[in-house]
Amino acid sequence: MAATPQNVLDGQEKPQTRPRRILIGGVGYRNLRDMSLGPLLSDRLQKLTWPEGVEIEDLSYGPIGIMHNLDDRPPYQRLILVAGVKRDREAGRVYSYRWNHQLPDPEEIQARVSEAVTGVISLDNLLIIGSYFKKLPHDVSIIEVEAIDDNWGEELTPAVEQLLPDVIEEIHTKIREPEWM
Amino acid sequence: MCFKNLPVKFDEQGNATLIGGIADPYKYERKDISREQLKRLMERNGYIRSLDFDPVTRVAGALAFHSTVDLKERKVLEAVSMATLFRGYEVILKGRDPRDAIFISSRACGVCGGVHSTCSALAIEMAFGICPPPLAIVIRNLALSMEFVWDNMMHLFLLAGPDYSESALKKTEPGLWDRALKTETQYGMLHGYTKMSDIFHDMNPLTGKLYLEGLEMTRVAREGYVTLMGKYPHPETIVPGGVSHNVTVQSFNVYLNRLMKTFDFAKKTIGIWDDITAFFYEANPEYKKVGTRPLNFADTGIWDDPDSYDATYANCNDWGEQRWATPGVIIGGKQVTTKLQQINLGIEEFIEHSYYEPWSGHPHKTDPLGAPLSPYHPWNKETKPKPENLNWREKYSWSTAPRWDREAVETGVFVRMWNTILAKKLPHRRFLDLTENSMLIRVPKYADEEMEFEWKIPDVWNAFERNRGRAYAISYQCVVAYDNWLKGMDLLKKGASRTSTPFTVPQNNRMSVGFWGAGRGWLTHHLEIDKGAIVNYQIITPSTLMASPKDPWGNPGPYEEAVLNTPILEEFDKPEDYKGIDILRAIRSFDPCMPCTTHIYAGDKTICQEVNTCACGVED
Repeated sequence: MAATPQNVLDGQEKPQTRPRRILIGGVGYRNLRDMSLGPLLSDRLQKLTWPEGVEIEDLSYGPIGIMHNLDDRPPYQRLILVAGVKRDREAGRVYSYRWNHQLPDPEEIQARVSEAVTGVISLDNLLIIGSYFKKLPHDVSIIEVEAIDDNWGEELTPAVEQLLPDVIEEIHTKIREPEWM
Repeated sequence: MCFKNLPVKFDEQGNATLIGGIADPYKYERKDISREQLKRLMERNGYIRSLDFDPVTRVAGALAFHSTVDLKERKVLEAVSMATLFRGYEVILKGRDPRDAIFISSRACGVCGGVHSTCSALAIEMAFGICPPPLAIVIRNLALSMEFVWDNMMHLFLLAGPDYSESALKKTEPGLWDRALKTETQYGMLHGYTKMSDIFHDMNPLTGKLYLEGLEMTRVAREGYVTLMGKYPHPETIVPGGVSHNVTVQSFNVYLNRLMKTFDFAKKTIGIWDDITAFFYEANPEYKKVGTRPLNFADTGIWDDPDSYDATYANCNDWGEQRWATPGVIIGGKQVTTKLQQINLGIEEFIEHSYYEPWSGHPHKTDPLGAPLSPYHPWNKETKPKPENLNWREKYSWSTAPRWDREAVETGVFVRMWNTILAKKLPHRRFLDLTENSMLIRVPKYADEEMEFEWKIPDVWNAFERNRGRAYAISYQCVVAYDNWLKGMDLLKKGASRTSTPFTVPQNNRMSVGFWGAGRGWLTHHLEIDKGAIVNYQIITPSTLMASPKDPWGNPGPYEEAVLNTPILEEFDKPEDYKGIDILRAIRSFDPCMPCTTHIYAGDKTICQEVNTCACGVED
């Protein structure tokens, strides 16, 4: 049974004069070549200049900790997550989509929580747990790169490295997009 | 006599020597496991079913469990515990600068993310001949006790807790749920519930009030940890000779603020698990057999006394006994030693049923004090991974089979209390006291009044007592933390604010061991260095001890043993409806924490591929 998508921003819109709060986060383990694209890219994004209201963070510290931290902050209007993944698609390509907040059945969610509290870091767990506990903004965009190499190593493969300007451009596009209603 | 099976004797001064007249004192004969009878039974009996949990969910890391059950006789016939992923830190660390070990070995687990770095620092300090200043010892104690509070809360409410929820009972024991609707609680003054069904309702995963409160409390405990250590898991602030940062009265006060918030939940947790245990026992005394096994326990103790710890192997028996948790080994319910040296001499690792090649040679015939050392001791061990196909009679796990005096031993936070009670050596009595068979724990006032709790050595040992013991251990850990906090404040007031000791890396050959503990009990890191580099590094975690496969003599590891002794009490009409809740309760009661795996190359072979794979599969 899929749960209903939740919009935690209902009734919490900021005045038009203030810039939208947008969080861009990389997710993943380090030292796993293309699967480490999230944390590697967030390191690089920190060095760039961003519009007011945009924050960059390495969100590779587990969904429960992220949830707790989001609780303590003023709400974000948009969350953009970046990660290297393996989903049996054409490798070495960028895939971009909006999170639909569709949740799996409760047993699956509980399994994801069990993973999260015992140290597993994963984009899917962050999305599922964050949505279930209503900690994510309604507007969540995801930019994934299908990994070519998921063996250990600090560097991205050259092909994925070459995709980084595209990924950064896609992030800028997502920042500029109007709010998702 | 400390050992019954190892060929070692001790004189009156405690000096160990080999028993004379034995040609090959550590030699053993392997006994093969027969599955023929089981196979025949399975062929002719429709009620004999194979039940595989792969992975076992709601545990940390990758554990699979295979069992064969006779649903007519309601007995477990076979139990096989499999660590399905290779850890390999022992291989990674070889040849590295010993200072790297703290940060690399920490990654052995993402749950116990501070214990490995601390244990590693202890091993390095012993090898380097340096001792941390008192305040650094206190800071480690504060951080680690908070880590255990977090860890145990997580287990009781998020991992094992759902096995005792309304949703589980309705699926597996609807009769118990009906009973819960009519049963009054006994400890309502601690938790506020009047009906057992209300407790089980609030233990429901994701929605239950206790589940959510447990989740929130993990945050409080983690905040306490990071206030002092900067980061969790894998703190970067633990270094040989102490910690790499300074602390202030302000950071101590932030820590206290978090610690105090855990006091009341600790009190409530005891009430909840006392009530759950009583409910099951009263509903059916057969529940006392779920997860039962012999009273064989081992623990290295934890929380060093800042006035006694000197980081030397020569004095480890003395500083070990000054800890807030006394080290010790209990065999058949009787404590046989509290000496860290003897605990160290008694440990061996066997690989007959593990995916490793045997190692040859016996490079260290004695420990640094001249006591005899087994060729199977971690200091003599070499990790030689050899992946191969699963074979129940031969090799089926990545866990080795550690044995103490060739006995399978269990460890855990309750073993800390058990050993401390039996030893009667506890020097720290500000909030703790001991009776003949119990520990008294005075939990200070927060919103609730100060309360004294008594954890008694249980008459029976099983899954319920493990969880109940863990609930009491939260309070134990809270007051150890508070006692250390007060000591730390005294040190700060006196100006003793130094938190590290300078050192140089020795270039000669040295052997050492870190004796510490995890949220689940025993933790040792065995180290040998030479020419400034690691020659050998061996880690024994609690789950290596307890998830172990059978030993060379065919004796099961603790998980296997506990499941073999578990009666099938689940309610079901047809064999295909059977879900295995009793087996899962038995396994989860150990709080399994299978070390996280990693990418590792062994020559031209890639051993495994994913950083973690404890994905969901079988759910109760």
